[in-house]
Amino acid sequence: MTALDNGIDEVRKIEFEAAPTRYARGWHCVGLEKNFRDGKPHTITAFGKKLVVYADSQGGLNVLDAYCRHMGGDLSQGTIKGDEVACPFHDWRWGGDGRCKQIPYSRRVPMRARTQAWPTLLQDGMVFVWNDPEGNPPIEGQEIPAVDGGPGTAGWTDWAWYQTRVDTNCREIIDNMVDMAHFFYVHHAFPTYFKNVFDGHTATQLQKGVSRDDLRPQEKAIGAPRRLGNTSVATYHGPSFMIDDLLYHYADGDVRTVLINCHYPVDEHSFVLQYGISMERPNGPEDPVEAERLAQKMIDTVRLGFEQDVEIWKNKTRIDNPLLCEEDGPVYQLRRWYEQFYVDVADVTPEMTQRFEFELDTSKPNEAWRREVEENLARKASAEGRVPQAQGV
Amino acid sequence: MTLRADNRLADAPMHPVGCRSCGATVLARKSSWHQTSVQWTAEAMASCTSWVAGCPSRGQLPACQDLRDSIAQAVVAGELPVLDDGS
Repeated sequence: MTALDNGIDEVRKIEFEAAPTRYARGWHCVGLEKNFRDGKPHTITAFGKKLVVYADSQGGLNVLDAYCRHMGGDLSQGTIKGDEVACPFHDWRWGGDGRCKQIPYSRRVPMRARTQAWPTLLQDGMVFVWNDPEGNPPIEGQEIPAVDGGPGTAGWTDWAWYQTRVDTNCREIIDNMVDMAHFFYVHHAFPTYFKNVFDGHTATQLQKGVSRDDLRPQEKAIGAPRRLGNTSVATYHGPSFMIDDLLYHYADGDVRTVLINCHYPVDEHSFVLQYGISMERPNGPEDPVEAERLAQKMIDTVRLGFEQDVEIWKNKTRIDNPLLCEEDGPVYQLRRWYEQFYVDVADVTPEMTQRFEFELDTSKPNEAWRREVEENLARKASAEGRVPQAQGV
Repeated sequence: MTLRADNRLADAPMHPVGCRSCGATVLARKSSWHQTSVQWTAEAMASCTSWVAGCPSRGQLPACQDLRDSIAQAVVAGELPVLDDGS
């Protein structure tokens, strides 16, 4: 039936609700730990707020609402004094638990001298912040797993890290997870195997691809080594932090790599995108310089990939009712999974978290499938004592 | 946000497929010979007896091969339609 004789010839309307003003519940990486350890408080704009990040004397990193509850001073412009951050306005001292510990010119701290504090986690050289609009502690079982390999492992490079602000709602980068077709058209990669799995608070993409060397002029231009293909298992652990275990296949062997792809929302219309790469040194630890150089080349390649995405995002519209063809990935099922982070825990439904799989496996040719079906039909027919009909293949 | 239904499921919904090994029932759909979608339930996950943990750094995901085989058999037996069989 064609669209016309079905009477469906009206113009398809793009529909979208305003981006949510609520921010996702879960762990968000806000950057590399070493960048916060210079003895000064740091400003981060995230979850629609200004936050202060500061290191205490115990080695912990603390994240508080940046605005002092006294007269509204910006704590991130203040100084670290002992285990507290001191407001530049009147020197009020705030602890990592969000409580005012001391007012140097006052004998007593008033009641309710408490500001918003975010739970933090330090792991693999990164700083994580737990955001929860309901104000509850981190959910057990939703911890960020340690990376397998990475800078903490002997023979791996330090993080080559990149950070940039993108002026669109962060759902766009989540959609990438399922968008098979865009790999070919935007990134000139050609997946031969592709699988998405959404399960609980995780969403995974497994991809095996071959590179189209003729279509990678940018990689060539920066002098990146020639890549034959890759195997990539990328998992979002919660709404914003992805660990991608990548095997790059080169002419002279495989290289193990971990790619971090993470973001935190600045507000509902922008996010900070961060990615990092650590790779196993292909020539062993005796050649660290060459490995760091290669890691830097690789992150340049990743940056080019994201820049291609950003160019699309800058100009596209938000769309809640994408019109999908059968060759597209599971966009609706991914968004159903993603929605769990935007509702209260009590409102998370089984359909948001139940396991869903989408697989594209080209290893068995169509002809082999058809042959099996025909053989099966023939078997059935002979069992029933009749002549099998010719199949239209 | 309102959760919306996949436009592709309106004309071609998912079909129940039983695992021939453990009897777990999932919903499956094949848009082509190469593509398969599977919707699990908590009940089906609990009854699966052939679950194999994968190894992400080697490119392997956890999976149930028995269910995969059962879906392939359902296709060959004509019980699970293939939307675009290329004919």
